[in-house]
Amino acid sequence: MKIGELEINPSKIICIGTNYMDHIEETKLEVPKEPVLFPKTLNCLIPNGAPIIYPQWIFNNRKYNRVDYEVELAFIIKDKCKYVKANKAYDHILGYTIFNDITARKIQVKDIASRLPWFRSKAFDTFGPIGPTIVSHSEISDPHNLKIELRVNGVVKQSSNTKHLLFKIPQLFENISKFFTMEPGDIVATGTPSGIGPIKPGDLIEASIEKIGTLSNKVVLEEVVS
Amino acid sequence: MIKIGKTTINPTKIVCLGRNYLDHIKETNAPVPTEPVFFVKTLNTLITDNEPIIYPKILYESEKYNRVDHEVELAFIIFQTCKNVSAEVAFDYIQGYTIFLDLTARSMQKSDRNINLPWYRSKNFDSFGPIGPRILPCSEISDPHNLSIQLKVNGATRQFSNTKHMLFKIPQILEYLSKYVTLKRGDIIATGTPSGIGPIQPGDILEASIEKIGTITHEVILERD
Repeated sequence: MKIGELEINPSKIICIGTNYMDHIEETKLEVPKEPVLFPKTLNCLIPNGAPIIYPQWIFNNRKYNRVDYEVELAFIIKDKCKYVKANKAYDHILGYTIFNDITARKIQVKDIASRLPWFRSKAFDTFGPIGPTIVSHSEISDPHNLKIELRVNGVVKQSSNTKHLLFKIPQLFENISKFFTMEPGDIVATGTPSGIGPIKPGDLIEASIEKIGTLSNKVVLEEVVS
Repeated sequence: MIKIGKTTINPTKIVCLGRNYLDHIKETNAPVPTEPVFFVKTLNTLITDNEPIIYPKILYESEKYNRVDHEVELAFIIFQTCKNVSAEVAFDYIQGYTIFLDLTARSMQKSDRNINLPWYRSKNFDSFGPIGPRILPCSEISDPHNLSIQLKVNGATRQFSNTKHMLFKIPQILEYLSKYVTLKRGDIIATGTPSGIGPIQPGDILEASIEKIGTITHEVILERD
C-alpha cells in the first residue's frame, strides 16, 4: 500500500477504542483501565482520494443504516518488535499518519450489547482510509500536541487535540507489544475524539491533523451488479 | 507467507467463527446465534505443525488470567479474491481444508466480554494459531460436513465431534462473510470448535486431528524471558 511517497506492507491494523475522554463521555462508555484493542482487516485500507463505499445492503436496512466517521492519529511500526518499553517506543515508530476508522455504528452497538466481537461493523471494504503522507517522528517532535479535525462537506464535526489522548503513544506501544509481535508497516490507530456522526453517500469527508495534512474521501453508494 | 505441508499461502487475514457447534454453545452458556459470529485473529498467531505453542509469561504469572484453552477447528482456505459470493457457488472459491487450533486466553476473554470489550487480545498472542499439517484440496473431500474432529492432550481425548454438527455450514459462512469483506487468495476461515474445550499447561502435547486431513502436534512451552 502506498501512502504518499512511502510504500508499506502491513500485516495488521490495531485500533484503540475509547481513548479520548470527550469521546468516552459522548458514548457513555466506561473509562478503560487498560487500552481497549480491536483489529481492522487489510481489506479496509484505501488511500487519500479513493471513495468510501457505503454498502448497499446496510443503506437499505433500516435497522443497520448508520455509518460513522472517526478521525484518528495513527502510527506506523518501523521494525519487528515485541515487549517494547514505553521509553523506547519512538525508536520503533516509522512515522505518523491520519486514519479514518469508519464504523457501521448500529451493527456495532447491537453487537456490543450482545457481548459479541467488534469485527463486522468495523471491517467492511474501504472502511479504513489512510494518508495522505507518513510524517516521521523527528518532523512531528510531539505527537501529543496536534490539532485533529474532521469535516463533512466543509462543516467541522470533530475538533480536538491529541493531547487529550487517555493512553499516550509510548504506553500504548508497551501495552500492545506485550501481547503481539509487531511487524514493519503495521498500523496502530490511537482512537477518536468526540463529535462522531453519520456519513451518507455523496458526502465529502476531510480528516486533518496538524503537521500531517488532510485525508479526503468521498462517500459513494455501492453499486451491486445483479 | 506460511508453508502448510507442500503449499505456501500468503493470507491477509484469519476470520474465525464463534459459537458454531451446538454442544460448545451449551457448555459456554452462550445464546444460540441467529447469524454467524465472526472475529479476527492476526497473522502473528500462525505457527505450523510441530512448532511450539508459547504460553505467555504474563498470563502464566497472573492469577486473574492464567487459563489458556485449546479449540480444534476445521479451516478452509480461500482460492481467489471474492465478494458477495452466493452459497450455491461457495466451493468454487475454496482452495482446500486444513486444521486450525484457536488458542484462547479464556479468563481474559471472559473478563473482557463481561465489560463489553472486543474479543481481540485474548485470541491473538503470538503462536495462538497453529495450522496444518497440509491443505487438502476440495476435490479430495467430497463432504466437509461429515468429518470426525478430535483433540488430544497428552494422549487423552478432550474434544471429539463431527463437522456435521456445525450450526452454519461452509457455503452459508462464505456467503455471509463475503457480504462484509472482500476475501483474498490464502485467507483463512476457521469454522468454530465443538465442546470439550479445556486448559493447556506448559509441557502438554496437543494433537488436533480431522478425518482425511491428518494431525497437527504441538508442545506447549512456557515463554522464556
